[in-house]
Amino acid sequence: MIERKERKPYWRHTKWQMLASLIPFLGVCIVLPLYAGNLNSSRFLGFPLGYFFALHGLVLIAVITVASFVNRQDAIDHWHGAHENT
Amino acid sequence: MPYARTRIVNPKLGAFFGIFTSAFAGLAILALIFEGLDVPLPMIRTFVLIGAFVLFSVIGLASFTQDQLDYFTSGRRVPDFYAGLGLAMTAFGATGLLGLTGSFFLVGFDALCLSIGGLAGFVVMAVLLAPFFRKFGAYTVPSYLGRRFDSRAVRLTSAGLLAVPMVLILAAELRMGAFAVSRLTETPPSTLISVLAVVLAVTLGAGGMRSLSWSGAAQGIACLIAVVVPVTVVAVLMTNLPLPQLSYGGVMKTVGRGEASLGLPIVLPPALAFDLPGEGLQPIAKRFSDALGSVGPAAFVIAILTTMAGIASAPWLLPRVAATPGVYEARKSLGWATVIFGLIILTIAPAAVFLRAYLIEVFTAPGAARVPEWINELAALKAAAVDAKGAKLQLTDFLFSRDAVLFSLPVAGRLPAAAVEVTAAGVLAIAMAAAGSSLMALGNILAEDVVNGLSWEPPAEGLRLTAARLSLAVAALFGAAVAIIAPTDPMELLLWSLALSGSAAFPVLVLSIWWKRTNAFGALAGLVVGFSVAVLAILAGEGGWMGVDGALAGAFGIPAGLAAAIAVTLVTPHPSKHLFELVRDIRVPGGEILYDREMLLLKRRKMKRS
Repeated sequence: MIERKERKPYWRHTKWQMLASLIPFLGVCIVLPLYAGNLNSSRFLGFPLGYFFALHGLVLIAVITVASFVNRQDAIDHWHGAHENT
Repeated sequence: MPYARTRIVNPKLGAFFGIFTSAFAGLAILALIFEGLDVPLPMIRTFVLIGAFVLFSVIGLASFTQDQLDYFTSGRRVPDFYAGLGLAMTAFGATGLLGLTGSFFLVGFDALCLSIGGLAGFVVMAVLLAPFFRKFGAYTVPSYLGRRFDSRAVRLTSAGLLAVPMVLILAAELRMGAFAVSRLTETPPSTLISVLAVVLAVTLGAGGMRSLSWSGAAQGIACLIAVVVPVTVVAVLMTNLPLPQLSYGGVMKTVGRGEASLGLPIVLPPALAFDLPGEGLQPIAKRFSDALGSVGPAAFVIAILTTMAGIASAPWLLPRVAATPGVYEARKSLGWATVIFGLIILTIAPAAVFLRAYLIEVFTAPGAARVPEWINELAALKAAAVDAKGAKLQLTDFLFSRDAVLFSLPVAGRLPAAAVEVTAAGVLAIAMAAAGSSLMALGNILAEDVVNGLSWEPPAEGLRLTAARLSLAVAALFGAAVAIIAPTDPMELLLWSLALSGSAAFPVLVLSIWWKRTNAFGALAGLVVGFSVAVLAILAGEGGWMGVDGALAGAFGIPAGLAAAIAVTLVTPHPSKHLFELVRDIRVPGGEILYDREMLLLKRRKMKRS
């Protein structure tokens, strides 16, 4: 069980983790498709690069973002003693 | 002990679903054998569809329960992978699966706005909402909101408003499920919609969320097999590699060259154009890999954000997160959901490219272009048509039905006819999974937050379950009626419902956790303003009074809801100390499940009184 005075630092830590997970990911999601047309002139594995990034690249980035979030947030929980007791 | 924290995951799950997977694969192989034995096609079709239908229904019925924790949250023992599978499948639905494949085929790159939005939705849900919703442990989203703000008004209002997007999803999925079955038969869709709704109500009524979780997991597996295997076979035929997700670069090169030589136009749309293909037969609109041809750049970004908000706060997805054994597993389940969602997108995009390649082949083959056999077969099924305007065939003379593209690929690839039937079974599975999920959420909201909504004290267990089952039946009837009476394009319904749930629920749900000052007045204002602005924007967009498509209504609804919630909160008094304490508890993963704790307190108080 988390100690009372530990709750504030825990939440501050969690907020930073939230921003660190979401801002880069959403930035890429929004900006990348807008430049896909320009990237399409190069090719990778036969794919137009813009299309390849917008499809395969974003799937990969999303999976990595969630995986790293789960891992980091779990570490934060344990650091502050906020984790569930199993 | 109805409120005890049960975290034991059934160790035999893997074996059960292994058996199911073999059974489904056996069904598909039997269908292929029957075809080899010259059994008539309608019989094979009946065999596959009924077989799949029976498998899912049996799992649903076998999960019968009389325990309310099982009925409302599947006993909180759905492991992360199965929960993620259910989430990904429900977010797609048959509408998303067929509509997105068709959109990829017809407008290429631009369909990505929806898939990116879905992915972003899962990421945002994992970070901002899911762990906290699981920690709170409420059975429905309105119950959570009502309890979090300690306000019956918030509970009833959110129940009323959030029911709307769920009815839309339910209607869309029932129509798509009926389409997957009726596609090749003469049965009228209204009969199929009714049958589907009744079967869903009966199988889900048996075990509630428990039935939904386990039959949904089975449906997810069936759908994965039915979608991935045919596309993989076509990939082997076309690229010699059984990896459709990565190997079609060369095919895209050929397609791109063909499109250029056949003179497919390069379109430069206005910034707010949102021209995704609708229902009905239509020609290919633009070159596949050209970015932003049917959807303008501004509309593309708005579509990503609206879909993201809609998926992240979907009141038909969040209750499934509450069925995971713990907060850590809730986060992990969203990880699995992202993986499976990504896998399906990566598989349906090549399906669209392969069909385009078959079409381009018609023109690049030596000799004069003529209508190939597979197009004639598709035309007989009303999945495609040829509308030759001149003496010489053009690429745009071929018309395709958006929702039938996924079924057209096995026909174009000359796969055995049974492959189409297996794909149809997979689509039926995903339609049942998504329709079941919204039906379940709708029924539970009706029972918990409307019928029993005036009192926080939970009714007696038997009464509570009876109310939930009756509400489920009412919701099924209602959804079927809407699906039959209002035959709108399911894809449109899906986009509207995402815009509505995003506008009404997303700002309030996020603020309820991340800004503890938010009070009941702010929540009420956010819900009502977000929802009404979104409805107005949809009406204005569809009526043509505004240059923005109705599907982009979230662009107005979400900021309006957010602004209203913040503004009204700031001018009204602080919430009580108890609520501050409650938010602090929601934010910490460890400790008791708050909803169960509050219900237990209420029960004790009631017992003391009597």
